[in-house]
Parts: sequence; structure tokens; C-alpha cells
Amino acid sequence: MTALHIPASQSTPSVTSSWEQGLLTMRGDSYPENSFEFFGDVIAWIERYLKESSAPLRLELHLVYMNTSSVKAMMDIFDILEDAHRGGRQVSVDWFYDPRNERVLDLADEFREDCSFPFQIAADG
Amino acid sequence: METIDLFGLRARFNESRILLCFNGPISRSLIEEIGNALKNYLQADNAQPSAAMDVFSVYVEMTQNIRHYAIAHDYDELQGSATVVVARDRDGRYLVQAGNMVENTDGDALLARVRQLADMDKIELKAAYKAQLRQPRDANASTGAGLELIDVARKSASPLSASLSQISDRHAFFSLRATI
Repeated sequence: MTALHIPASQSTPSVTSSWEQGLLTMRGDSYPENSFEFFGDVIAWIERYLKESSAPLRLELHLVYMNTSSVKAMMDIFDILEDAHRGGRQVSVDWFYDPRNERVLDLADEFREDCSFPFQIAADG
Repeated sequence: METIDLFGLRARFNESRILLCFNGPISRSLIEEIGNALKNYLQADNAQPSAAMDVFSVYVEMTQNIRHYAIAHDYDELQGSATVVVARDRDGRYLVQAGNMVENTDGDALLARVRQLADMDKIELKAAYKAQLRQPRDANASTGAGLELIDVARKSASPLSASLSQISDRHAFFSLRATI
């Protein structure tokens, strides 16, 4: 299975992926009670992509609110990207936020502090 | 049968500027539904998007924490009940308060932890948050002393406050308040 598509729910973001483009997109709020259950599939897709493909990987995030357990799971994802980056892989994150809500910028910025791969944060145009 | 003075209750709610309150067994879907109502209230109340998100976030962390605690301690629905209040104070700030039944020993530890967090400034809280984020998953299992409490402390404009009311030899009611 190389396609990962999860529709959004009240407390989980939508996830779409393109193996060919090396792109994973997440959009919406993330506050499931069990984040590890939800993010497990996303992490599995990323790990598999990094193992089986040698092409670049880009994460496009339009995440708004995240509870602390989602933050923890997201940090696991960024740790995987960081390891891949240190191993010479081309990985990047683009995080888009609504400029009316500075909290999302704070959240993304705090993640970026711990990452050395290309990590862009941009206001939604 | 004892009658409930609904008009008196309403007056009490209005007097305390209570926007939303809940008391009873809480489920995963109920947290989402009440959260949705809270988002709508905040929007109708013309809250700034960042303040609305902080209130929502504190509400989610507090209620999910109560759920995790109840599950970890095998509480039944009633024992795992949550009491949640979102109100505005006289200065227009939002107060988010949530309480639940806890084991006496946990209650004391929680109070001590809240006091510890209340003494930290924003920079210290951020450092504590990042350090906790790096802890192995098992170490911050649902004791309530993990990331959630630090996150709530970071979002609160005034230091967190908490109280403990004795229920029995074994149990107490733990109540936590954040201001946004």
C-alpha cells in the first residue's frame, strides 16, 4: 500500500499522500484522545517512503490546533525527518497558517527550533 | 421529590458569567461536542482567534486528562465524572475550570505540581515543556503530571490555581483553574 488517504474528522486532520511526488499533506485540527493510534499510519507511510524511495520527501502542513499528544506524535515525525536529513536525504516541511491566528505560528516555530532540515512557515495567501 | 430551583441556578450562572458548564460522565465524543459548542460560543462572543484557541486548548487538555486519569484508574462512568466550567471574569478574561475525583495521594502530588508550575515564568515553562516532550512515552503516562499540565500552565495568563476537597478516606475532588 503506497497510498495514504484519511478523511478529516472532528478531532483529526485530513491526510493525503502522493508517493510519486514524495508529498504528504495534513490539514485541519488534531486533538484525538489517542494520537498514537492516529499518527501511527502517517509515521508508517513516512518510514516506508524513506526506506523504499530515494527521492525527496516534502510535508505540507495546514494544521491549526494540536493537543499535546498530537504535538508529541508530530515531534516523532520530525525526529524521523531529522535522522533522514542527517543521513543525506532531501526532506522538507512547509507549514501554512492563517495570519489571523498567531498561535499556529508559535506552534510551528517551536517545532522548527529543533529541526535542521528546510522548514518553512508561511502565511496562507 | 425535591425540586430543583432552575431559576435560582440560572441566576447563579448569570452572576458568575458562566458561558458553559458541564457535570457528569464524559466520553470522547462528548468532549468533541462540548468543544464544538465552546468554539461557537467564543466566536459569538467575539473572542480573538488566538484567545479562542487558548481557551479551547485548555479545555481539551483538562478534559482529556480527566478521561485518561479515569481510564488509568479503572473508574466507572460516575467516578470518572468531570465538572467543567468556562466563564468570564470581571476583566473580561476567560476562566477555564475543570475538576474530577482523584486518589488522595495523586491529589497531593497534583497540587504540589501545580504550585511548582505556578512559580515558573514563561521561559521556564517552555523549557519544562520541551524537556517533558523529550521524555520517553511511558514516563508521562496518564498521571496528569505530564505535558498536559505544563501546556495549560503556558497558556494561562495568571498562574494556575488548584484545590483539593476531601470526598472520602481514599478520594478527593481535584479542581484546576486557568485564566486566559
